[in-house]
Amino acid sequence: MARVEVRKVHDYLWEIPKSGEMNVPGRIYADEDSIRFLLSEGKSKEWDALLQVRNVACLPGIRKASLAMADIHPGYGFPIGGVGAFDLDTGVVTIAGVGFDINCGVRTMIVGVPKEDVEARKKELADALFRIVPAGIGSTGSLKLSAKEIDEVLLRGARFVIDRGLESASDLAYVEEGGMVEGADPSCVSATAKERQFKQVGTLGSGNHYLEVQYVDTVYDEKAAEAFGLAVGTVVVSIHTGSRALGHQIGTDYQSVLRKASEKYKIPIRESELVAAPIGSPEGKRYIAAVKAGINCAFANRQAIAHLVRKAFKEVFGAEGTRVRTMYEVGHNNLKFERHVLDGVETDLLIHRKGATRAFGPMSAGLPDRYRMIGQPVLVGGTMGTSSYVLIGTEKGMEETFGSAIHGAGRRQSRKQALKEYRGERIIGDLAARGIVVRVHSKPGIAEEAPGAYKDVENVVGIMEGAGVSRRVVRLKPMVCVKG
Amino acid sequence: MLSRGHETIDHTADMGIRGWGSTPAEALEEAAAAMLELMADVRGLVPSRRSTISRAGSDLTELLIEFLNGLLSDADLSGTVYLRAAVTRLEKTSDGTWALDAAIEGVPLDEVRERLRIEVKAATYCGASVREQDPGVWVARCVVDL
Repeated sequence: MARVEVRKVHDYLWEIPKSGEMNVPGRIYADEDSIRFLLSEGKSKEWDALLQVRNVACLPGIRKASLAMADIHPGYGFPIGGVGAFDLDTGVVTIAGVGFDINCGVRTMIVGVPKEDVEARKKELADALFRIVPAGIGSTGSLKLSAKEIDEVLLRGARFVIDRGLESASDLAYVEEGGMVEGADPSCVSATAKERQFKQVGTLGSGNHYLEVQYVDTVYDEKAAEAFGLAVGTVVVSIHTGSRALGHQIGTDYQSVLRKASEKYKIPIRESELVAAPIGSPEGKRYIAAVKAGINCAFANRQAIAHLVRKAFKEVFGAEGTRVRTMYEVGHNNLKFERHVLDGVETDLLIHRKGATRAFGPMSAGLPDRYRMIGQPVLVGGTMGTSSYVLIGTEKGMEETFGSAIHGAGRRQSRKQALKEYRGERIIGDLAARGIVVRVHSKPGIAEEAPGAYKDVENVVGIMEGAGVSRRVVRLKPMVCVKG
Repeated sequence: MLSRGHETIDHTADMGIRGWGSTPAEALEEAAAAMLELMADVRGLVPSRRSTISRAGSDLTELLIEFLNGLLSDADLSGTVYLRAAVTRLEKTSDGTWALDAAIEGVPLDEVRERLRIEVKAATYCGASVREQDPGVWVARCVVDL
């Protein structure tokens, strides 16, 4: 028997009714097939994403619902695809709702080079990106920072990189939070975390982090696409990475702190990583200030990589390759203070998004002027070699999900299963046969990221659209893929 | 089952690791071996770097997580691929906490780049435990974030 009972709300939304110790219901965006898959996994596997939704619903001060987007799969404590909003007075902050890759996210930049020209020189471009952007395990960036400078990165995010003369400030209007959150406190970040980051600003990382040169294959919403500067054939480059070792170390350092805080403040621990501290407690405040430092570090990292990506385009395409502008950048492992309407009242909340993208609807605060009437672009990374999407946030999403949507396709198979089924060389060969140029720093990591190990991104996007939480704007197809 | 050993456990997004042995120290060494093998193909490599690590925890589970995360940060900072970690001391101290020392062997990362597999971001408390599963069989396990 499944450990969690669900009931259907409509074709794309399911609910775990509030019962027992739950403070709110659980709500999962899924269709019939995917909910059946989640229920069957819950019966047979140790980690159960639906049980994780239920456990999050039991945390103190959670408001409205423990939510899961359509790319839901089991995480540690929080499901991946999970969203939890907490009351600032009675609520908690939990490390499971942020994870170890703080502010991991995507920047998509529009490239002013015609698709045919990129197509003709895509191998050269792939080689340039592979050479210029440091990636893979143990890679180091070109920015070598002192202890004082790393504190500046943590305080000022992408603005630090721009002040170093790398790129113009015009990018920042199109980056979530303008590339910097207030309230970061470098003194809440350990010396080890900072030391690990000295050489890693401007590195892509490994695992599922990537650079992709893509083109718009289908436009679904002409008006929104036009506002975003996208049309059929537009070439873009997407950067997927996060806060690197600094974020990993902040998570590592604070998991023990929050574990002890859970005991101190008598917050029941329902799954060992789902530990928490009251938002207003000294432990909670320090963790939040450290996460904000991690968020800024990721902003700086993506800005530094954007600079390197531009360098690669300029090297290959000359003057034509200098027209590369940021369409949008948004994170999907985050902790944010936001104001949302709850029961008709504007309420300040702490939102956790673990593998979920902020997806603000039209007229929301903080959107670039150019997008304000349309809504926020939501950047959804597809599986390697399949489609990626640009979606848009909706008013319904603001009402139902605190303005949140999916972040990717979501894993269907474990890495172990994927390793048994797929071979890295074969995957690269298959992609090459479809005209996609792949450059990989770590071949053994490729099999785990095999397209077949993920859910069908088209279906996942369709569920969110069916529910009205986000809408498709364009579909992107890959031309060049550089993996960490 | 062999008296000591290690394996990986299925987890959709990340990876579970499990080490076992006749003592907690052996179980922790094996869990470390499971994690290090995820990170690189260490078979046949001859160590050229040696160091030590000391960690403490309020219980054995916290000690396991501290130990694994200590290995991750030390390896990252020193640019080393660790081959193995041998626990040289594991005891409950007078203040009730658990402490360990371990000797580590490794090779410079730059010399073995082609052996690298996947980056482990952190060892987590998800599914973490260190316990005597059967008399004389200690098992240490957790999920590592990839």
